[in-house]
Amino acid sequence: MDRHPRRLPVFLKLAQIRFPIGAIASIAHRVSGVLLFIALPVVAVLLDTSLRDEAGFASVRDLISSPLAVVAAGVLVWALVHHVLAGIRHLLMDVGIGGELERARASARLVLIAAPALAVFLLFWGLS
Amino acid sequence: MRLDIYRFDPESGAPPRMQAYEVQPEAGDKKLLDVLMRLRVQDDSLSFRRSCREGVCGSDAMNINGRNGLACLTALEGLKEPIVLRPLPGFPVIRDLIVDMTQFFAHYHSIKPWLISDAPLPERERLQSPTERERLDGLYECILCACCSAFCPSYWWNPDKFIGPSGLLQAYRFIADSRDTATAERLDFLDDVYRLYRCRTIMNCTEVCPKGLSPSHAIERIRLALLRRSS
Repeated sequence: MDRHPRRLPVFLKLAQIRFPIGAIASIAHRVSGVLLFIALPVVAVLLDTSLRDEAGFASVRDLISSPLAVVAAGVLVWALVHHVLAGIRHLLMDVGIGGELERARASARLVLIAAPALAVFLLFWGLS
Repeated sequence: MRLDIYRFDPESGAPPRMQAYEVQPEAGDKKLLDVLMRLRVQDDSLSFRRSCREGVCGSDAMNINGRNGLACLTALEGLKEPIVLRPLPGFPVIRDLIVDMTQFFAHYHSIKPWLISDAPLPERERLQSPTERERLDGLYECILCACCSAFCPSYWWNPDKFIGPSGLLQAYRFIADSRDTATAERLDFLDDVYRLYRCRTIMNCTEVCPKGLSPSHAIERIRLALLRRSS
């Protein structure tokens, strides 16, 4: 700003701002997207190793059955489900469905609840 | 009643700080602005904008307990104490709760917020049918308080390039006007990755609009108008 030679402060501490539910669904959409982007090459390498030979398959199986790997898989499954559901929500809103505030709030709440629930279900289903 | 208010004095050179206040509301004090006016009597260095005190001028927009709103329309009843008041997020702070709105108004001017018509000048006035007039409902009521733009994450990160919810609502107000003949030029101007498409439909704008308007809906209409034009 030319009118102010000195730099003026800006209040933008996100922790001190009370975000509506739509904003939380949106930031989770971003976070899940970044997680999926980072995880994709790792998962691709794991798949490649597991398909190479019997020893490769065994090593990947051992690796992903550790408790830490199960937690990581849980987070990734959540990221995938949340990203897909939130993405569908945005696509619907883009064509004019559910753009009213009440419905947008309800769909944001639905995505935020359904994603972890579905992730837990998929994880147990995958493990069993 | 306890309040915690953001203070910044540009002359002191000190960084912004929070200051605690204690004030006794009197009978008839219904809105946050009533209490702020009492506080000003206690401490005349406390600075904030206000004018009409009834939600028409849009001067007293601020961040109230973490959400943007107008002090004059925010009821004291139900506000959690201490009431934490900060300036509008993302805007440069001039002093205390007063922010610099230069950029916000530059975006407003950029969308040419006036009627453009190449139709011959009418003898009396440009008439509209009741249906055409109804299309402006929910658009013309914007008071430019900036609650929406200052609550929009896309605007926080790109305040110089993204027009923001308020400017886009105003832009659609003229696109939707049956008397305006510059719709194509207006859409050409908006068809830009930053100016319009930085909107991620987070809908924080609609959440906080003190006039109950829906900038996100106006943005959706602009997008659809652009889509229809291109197909």
